[in-house]
Amino acid sequence: MLELLALTYVMAAAGGILVGAISLPLAFSRSTLFALTMTHSVLGGAILGIYLNSALGLGVPVPITATMVSLILSVLAAELSEKIFSEDVAIALTVAISTTITIIFGYLTIQVSSTGLSEVWFYVAGTSAIATVGDLIKMATAAIIVAPLMHLISRELKYISFDKDGAAAMGLNVRVYRYLFFSLTAFATSTLASTLGVLATHVLLAVPGAVAMRFGKRGSLTASYTIAVALALIGYFTAQLLEIPPSGGIGLISGLVIMGLILGHERR
Amino acid sequence: MSVKIEVHKVSYSYGLKAALEEASFELDSPFFCVVMGPNGAGKTTLLKLMLGLLKPMRGYIRIMGHDPLKESSVIRRLVGYVPQVVNIDHHVPITVEEVVAMGALSKDIPPRIMSRKIRRRVEEVLEVVGLEDSSCLFTELSGGQRQRALIAKALIGEPKLLLLDEPYSMLDFDMRCEIAGLLYRLYGEEGIDVFLVAHELSPCIHLDPMVILLNKRVYAIGKASEVLKLENLKKAYPGLTEVPAGFILGEDHA
Repeated sequence: MLELLALTYVMAAAGGILVGAISLPLAFSRSTLFALTMTHSVLGGAILGIYLNSALGLGVPVPITATMVSLILSVLAAELSEKIFSEDVAIALTVAISTTITIIFGYLTIQVSSTGLSEVWFYVAGTSAIATVGDLIKMATAAIIVAPLMHLISRELKYISFDKDGAAAMGLNVRVYRYLFFSLTAFATSTLASTLGVLATHVLLAVPGAVAMRFGKRGSLTASYTIAVALALIGYFTAQLLEIPPSGGIGLISGLVIMGLILGHERR
Repeated sequence: MSVKIEVHKVSYSYGLKAALEEASFELDSPFFCVVMGPNGAGKTTLLKLMLGLLKPMRGYIRIMGHDPLKESSVIRRLVGYVPQVVNIDHHVPITVEEVVAMGALSKDIPPRIMSRKIRRRVEEVLEVVGLEDSSCLFTELSGGQRQRALIAKALIGEPKLLLLDEPYSMLDFDMRCEIAGLLYRLYGEEGIDVFLVAHELSPCIHLDPMVILLNKRVYAIGKASEVLKLENLKKAYPGLTEVPAGFILGEDHA
């Protein structure tokens, strides 16, 4: 039991590292709403994957289908906002498409599979508060891929957010950096959602970056990592204590952090 | 003397809305040139075309004989660009050092690591523009200091030409004069040609710069004292009946 607990907390810490790397760039590039699109897309993609596996027996890992759908819809949102609509309208349209996929394939999945509903539920609320070796491997692999790559492009992302035209004038390929960032975010979101659920993933992606921007020294990445790891660890502990899914624990702790920040801000 | 900037019958439009219609002019080095015109005259579009960020629909542009579209890497080496402060996202937590260093780092290939040499160069250009603390956040600076930091970013690559988009916007009159003085010093002492777009000339009128009157087309080009005449201004600013005080002495002086 102790080993399982250790495994769970190591996995939570890896998830925190994954979130810490993404959350701050999301906050300073004003892309937190974009992350919301991705969590919706991941849910739609996961349900599509579950349906295709159940109905057609494809055997494609659900996180792969979820990541692919998330990537496609993220690119769609980026293209729509760059060429046709304002960003909020592009996001709303993309969320509408992913919600439609979720509803249609969620309904169809229930028709063809008796276990489909529980699989779908895992993507909404997360798996159990005790992690498996598979969860740990998945999360650690994602953290090992995403965190160094994010560090590699963080300076450019920051500058592009600061001055898009200036960055383009200096020869930075704004579109390539943006799509790389969105791809890494889609991958991270899909990995996190398969364990924590889409609801907790969005909260977890939003809070550390926002708090680091507001209170961290110069919006530091260290603050983002620290807050993300702490939220994941305390969230898992709370989930085990209250015997609820990890998404519930993380959501609860994130909610308390936000309330604490609001109260702290009021007192100032 | 070689032609440093050549804009030949350049047209550009955003959808159906024309931004530039067969705009043409030539500038020989050395020059300190101010492009003036009303809102929507195509001033910023002209800068973007000169930087190769937009492609002319008709006509062509040459900067020191180079095509900004086909020889963008050469243009980036020769030209320093100072964006409009209002187009910058002040919400991003970026230090002055990071802003200025990006002017040099962008010329490297990733990963762009801030070496000791680049840090030293950042300190040097900050000294040129009169800024001291490179560790503070860009958002902690005053309007004039922000403009200086952006000029420092453009200077770090040792450009031959500075392109500036509304460098006087959001500044009070004294600050505008300080920035104009700094730019004129860069022009006079460092031999850097200056090409800026602005709504008014008052901060640098005493420098008698070159002026281009633009409103989709180029209506006049020459020394300020020759160009800023009512007959020319009426063409670029339809509805104008007299030369506004701000064009010559600055409304703040009036």
